Amino acid sequence: MAINNTLKMSVLAASVFVASTTVAYAENSYRIGITQNNVGVDSYQTTYERAFVEAAEAAGNIDIVVLDAGGDVARQIGQMQDLVQQQVDAIIIWPTNGQAVIPAIRQANNAGIPVVVTNSKIADAGMDFIAAFSGPDNVEQGSSSAEMMCDALGGEGQIVQISGQPGYTTAIERAAGFEERLAELCPGVELMETQPGNWNRERAQRVMEDFLTKYDRIDGVYSGDDNMGVGALNAAKDAGRAGDIVFIGATNFAVGYDAIARGEYYGSIYQSPVDDAHAALQTALDVLAGEDVPKLNFFETPKITAENLEEFDRPVF
Amino acid sequence: MASAEQTKQPVLKGRVSRAGILGFLSAQGILVFFLLSMFVFSLFSEQFLSQSNIMTVVRQASIIGIIAVGVTVVIIGGNLDLSVGSMLSFATVLVVDLHDKIGPMNAILVMFALTLLLGAVNGFLVGLMRLNSLIVTLAMLSVIQGLVLIYSGGQNVDIANQGGTWFAFFGRGYVLGIAVPVLLFGLLAILVQCLMSYTGYGRRIFAVGGNPMAAVYSGIRKNWCVFSTYLISAFCVACAALVLGSRVMGSQNNVGQGYELLVLAGIILGGTSLLGGAGSIWKTVIGVLILGFIQNGLLLMGYPYYTQWIVTWVIIILAVWLDLANKRKRLLTTHS
Repeated sequence: MAINNTLKMSVLAASVFVASTTVAYAENSYRIGITQNNVGVDSYQTTYERAFVEAAEAAGNIDIVVLDAGGDVARQIGQMQDLVQQQVDAIIIWPTNGQAVIPAIRQANNAGIPVVVTNSKIADAGMDFIAAFSGPDNVEQGSSSAEMMCDALGGEGQIVQISGQPGYTTAIERAAGFEERLAELCPGVELMETQPGNWNRERAQRVMEDFLTKYDRIDGVYSGDDNMGVGALNAAKDAGRAGDIVFIGATNFAVGYDAIARGEYYGSIYQSPVDDAHAALQTALDVLAGEDVPKLNFFETPKITAENLEEFDRPVF
Repeated sequence: MASAEQTKQPVLKGRVSRAGILGFLSAQGILVFFLLSMFVFSLFSEQFLSQSNIMTVVRQASIIGIIAVGVTVVIIGGNLDLSVGSMLSFATVLVVDLHDKIGPMNAILVMFALTLLLGAVNGFLVGLMRLNSLIVTLAMLSVIQGLVLIYSGGQNVDIANQGGTWFAFFGRGYVLGIAVPVLLFGLLAILVQCLMSYTGYGRRIFAVGGNPMAAVYSGIRKNWCVFSTYLISAFCVACAALVLGSRVMGSQNNVGQGYELLVLAGIILGGTSLLGGAGSIWKTVIGVLILGFIQNGLLLMGYPYYTQWIVTWVIIILAVWLDLANKRKRLLTTHS
């Protein structure tokens, strides 16, 4: 998929406008509705939307209805109902909340519209009502980060964790995957404390400053994403202790990529919003084509360190 | 400061003249509370009172503190400013994004100009159009956040060359061993405190907030006074954005989200009345510091972040209650 390189730098609002007003009723074409979590608050979601719209346009025979819930569960449920009313052929949902959206998904399912959940899973109770899930395996990502941490520290050390937004599925799964794998692979590495950084760099920087005060010895920091990881790195640099600490993150951001290149940051997980968007669209198309689609479709999110840095493009966010 | 207190409570003769420790305790309750909470935390964490930790906390608190200095002036003038969080996002995104495009100096100038413009819009709507400040600034909170998203297209902004820019001075620099954010906070606090206590301008703001009708009858141009408070508030936000942008060397679109509440919390904790006409900058400084030390102390003791919310706001309600109880001279309500 070379659409990656042809990212238009059009204004977000404009692309939404164009997308949501393109309603052509061509023969054999699918209408797919997507309701997203909160486009605009972070670069990942913004890039995802752009990639999704472009992939759909490139495919040619798809009309899309692009909606955004603005992080609001109630609004997302309303959007689901709107899409059912419009009788789209399939709905893709990026859940604002893994629990609260289930009744709306069930409604769509009852109306005979297949639902594909993207990026972030819904609770098990809802899995019967969806056609498929497509997204990253966050538990696996946490495990991979634990493996990197173990390698970097040689199996021995004291570390802290800065997790994502409390209650958000991605944050919970990454932390769980990390903690479980670390305990099993590396009993010599002690996780001293975990505090949430809320996916916010400034917040993570403050948490790390307090960690540095509290613990005289910190050998490693695992952050739920690179944005927070770079905040932790900032704090450690400021305290003159960055050289003693191994930094490992997830969802490689451009700042994290650069920090790896400079040798200040050990490693991360490469998760492309473009792959994420393409996987969601492809899964929906496979479902519509009547193919036998597995329930869980994970796209690949490899480890990235200084050793294999060149194999990856610098993230656009 | 003395004049500020006089404007605030001209009739509380008993309280002012009451001598001795008790009088001091009730007059300076917030300071006593501050020292007490410091003491309690120091019992549980040995690093808490270390010099490096104190410097860390004061530095962390200085962003909220700088904004709170400005918002205190707005509140003394009898209005609210809830738009400061979004305004902080706006200013930070702007200065960070423009840094690499037009150079640090120009970026700072543009950022200050546009942030002051937003303040002027607030001031125009509240001061000159005389709309309700709660509604206006609540609306501006969303409007400005929207502007930020349109401007940035949802992308994070970063400064590419973090090591080689003098812009780092504001958030990471030190002068005579003191962190620049702390210096800026202190300097602004002293400046604005002097402005409020020793100048005619300050007295006019107190008058407008305390009794707008009387202020107008005594020839004060009330509308322009209110207008100017929003400029002060916006100026302080711009200073805070300087610190925040330089400290993080990047910015998310919603980086200032929630700051308006933290700022208000600090101000209320300090004892400035939300009704206007009373309060002082130095109380706000203490309030903001208490807030910072509570958050830091709880973290050092290993409590998760959300307990901070509970503890912080319980303490604020307690503080407000004790303050009222002190004024009423009884713990529960006076008869209605």
